Amino acid sequence: MAVNWLRNLASRRSVPVFPVLGVQGDKALRHLTLSPDIELVDSPRHASVLLVAGEIPADRFEPLRRVHDQLPSPFTTLWFRCEPWPHLESVIRVDDLDVLPAALVTAYRELMKGRRESSPRILPDKPPNPWEGEGDFGQGGEGMMGGVPYGRPMAMNMEDDIRDGLTLDSLTFRLGPFFFAFPPGMAAEITLQGDLVQTWKTQLVAYPQSLDPVFFTARERPVPIAELELARARHHLHRLYRGLHLAGLESASLSALRLAQNLSTTSTLDGLHRYLSRSGFFRLAAIKGGVLGPEQARRIGGPAARAAGLDEDLRSDDAGYRRLGFSPVSQAGGDTGARWRQVLAEIDQSLQLARQAERDDMTTSEVDRIETPRGPWLEKRPEDASALLDEILPGQEWGDALATIASLDVAAVAEASLDTQTASEPRITNTLDSEGGRT
Amino acid sequence: MIVEELVLPVLMVFFMLAAGAYTVAVLDRVIAGALGTPQAGSVWIVPLARGAWLMTQHANATEAPDWRAWRLAPALYLSLAAIGLAVVPWSGSLVATDLATSVVLWGSVEALATVVIFLHGWSANALFALIGGYRYVALGLSYILISMFVLIGVALPAESLQFTQVVASQGELWNLIRQPLGLPLFLIVGLGMTFWGPLNLADSADLAGGTAAEISGPPRLVWDVARAAMLVAFSGVATSAFLGGWLGPWLPGPLWVVIKMLAVLLVLLLLGRLLPRLAPERCVTLMWVVLLPLSFIDLVWAGVGALL
Repeated sequence: MAVNWLRNLASRRSVPVFPVLGVQGDKALRHLTLSPDIELVDSPRHASVLLVAGEIPADRFEPLRRVHDQLPSPFTTLWFRCEPWPHLESVIRVDDLDVLPAALVTAYRELMKGRRESSPRILPDKPPNPWEGEGDFGQGGEGMMGGVPYGRPMAMNMEDDIRDGLTLDSLTFRLGPFFFAFPPGMAAEITLQGDLVQTWKTQLVAYPQSLDPVFFTARERPVPIAELELARARHHLHRLYRGLHLAGLESASLSALRLAQNLSTTSTLDGLHRYLSRSGFFRLAAIKGGVLGPEQARRIGGPAARAAGLDEDLRSDDAGYRRLGFSPVSQAGGDTGARWRQVLAEIDQSLQLARQAERDDMTTSEVDRIETPRGPWLEKRPEDASALLDEILPGQEWGDALATIASLDVAAVAEASLDTQTASEPRITNTLDSEGGRT
Repeated sequence: MIVEELVLPVLMVFFMLAAGAYTVAVLDRVIAGALGTPQAGSVWIVPLARGAWLMTQHANATEAPDWRAWRLAPALYLSLAAIGLAVVPWSGSLVATDLATSVVLWGSVEALATVVIFLHGWSANALFALIGGYRYVALGLSYILISMFVLIGVALPAESLQFTQVVASQGELWNLIRQPLGLPLFLIVGLGMTFWGPLNLADSADLAGGTAAEISGPPRLVWDVARAAMLVAFSGVATSAFLGGWLGPWLPGPLWVVIKMLAVLLVLLLLGRLLPRLAPERCVTLMWVVLLPLSFIDLVWAGVGALL
């Protein structure tokens, strides 16, 4: 009885969900972030529900199996717009974003109350490699380094430190493709000394990201500038939300997300901008690293290039934008902080342009020269730029490295726009704000 | 004799551990809600539901952890929090253990916390937990030094290392005013020592939970309760050292202590929600270049004040 009582009580908390993002899964993530019944967690160990959101490419099945088995039992899984693996029994698949939070809550409550079985483990519970260390704890062998326990060498000092000469044991590991602070789908092999990145090799590039359909329409015919600029501002706000979440500014990240969901030509960025300045985001947080040189900046293009001082923006070539008096904004620094300042400035600029363009009913004039929020789209769509990470992350501390990744929009632009079902971002009703404040 | 000197103090500390951790959970939730985090359910029930959830969950394993150390570390941290709570005086006579050297005992709690937090990170045999442990060790010394100088400052006018004496010495003027640098320094150090909010570098978001990234079930419950209780113990020490402990008009002494501790907790939790996480490198610079010299000035100020 006591256990039943405990489980009943446990079912009353918000649902701890670890999201595994597939292609276009980030929309579900944003929807759930603003749902009061769901708590998204960053480690699979802290979840009771594994949410597979979006189609997972076959080359990421193996990591998914490993993440699946890391959830502490009892746990359950839910697949959103993705076909569950046939050998998993009694798995729920949901396709409608609006019913997703409720489906997660139901799954969790059933699990807690014992009406649903915990998911079975997929992989055998044994080390991936046999024990080959010498001595009980791998302490034997030459120089007390103990062979290769479980297929990995003992952490030992093979290379000099690249910062201050204080050498520590090198630690090599693979991270991703479902690590929350990476762009969805990206995986890397990283060597650290302490928390300083020594080498960084991107092994799987991020999934191509889908842009708002208006950017694809703009490649075919003139579109209203107001619509285009609102879509651009929304794209940047979504990135800002991830960056601020990583920086530990939860309430500011939620403000950015709410602003994106309810964006219109009357929206302003003033409140968020003021909050970021006052909270010391630009002085205290890990935003000093990740400086891009001019050549690197040109390779990634877009806001990151303008944050490094390049004054290039295809909107300058468009007659419609010229009539609105458009001139590109840019920063000098080229580091993570400069990129966030640039993003804030571009959101501000986009909202102003949208207001003006709506009043004057302006449309674009160029169709084969489009500045997407990710960068210029001339003959080719903006391509993946994660090779840049391999160059600029070594030498940074872990926190700075992750902040750099969050500030760089490296994923390529996908071939097709968002599908119609997801094209309009779900509108979260405005009551959320007031309700969130009370409970 | 046994009841008065053993049973009652132990019961008192257990009560403070439970009530304190619950209070922190409720307060933090209220603050998060006020700042716009969407929340469902009653603010009073949800912390309990979260505890029940962790009780029903299995404690997971990692690949070849140091089992004994991994299971022991949360319990050790909880014990350290309990020791901290035991030296907080609630009135001139109501204190779980009124050691003549209770200020020193608190200092040792701060130092041992470094060991326990590193043990917790290291023993999981997992990447993020290890980095979290490394980070705390790299930063812990700077917190402890500042904390010690500030506490020596309050011991000087009391001419004693006993918290009850430190409170009694503030009858005329609280140390908050007598040593204006003390409390701000001590609060910043407190955020670091309890790795909370902007100075949560050991269990931080960029490490997916740091030393706690790999734990689930009852060990995680103990770790979370211990962290909250340590914050309460810290606010109790800050109350005794700077805010005159039980001293105050009209209300009974223990009630004054509760009010003052809640005020300190509120400030710490608000800072935790409003500020971004500091970059570790900037944190080291802040501690050694700015706060440590300030703590020297605080100590000189306190010494001169005691001589005059």
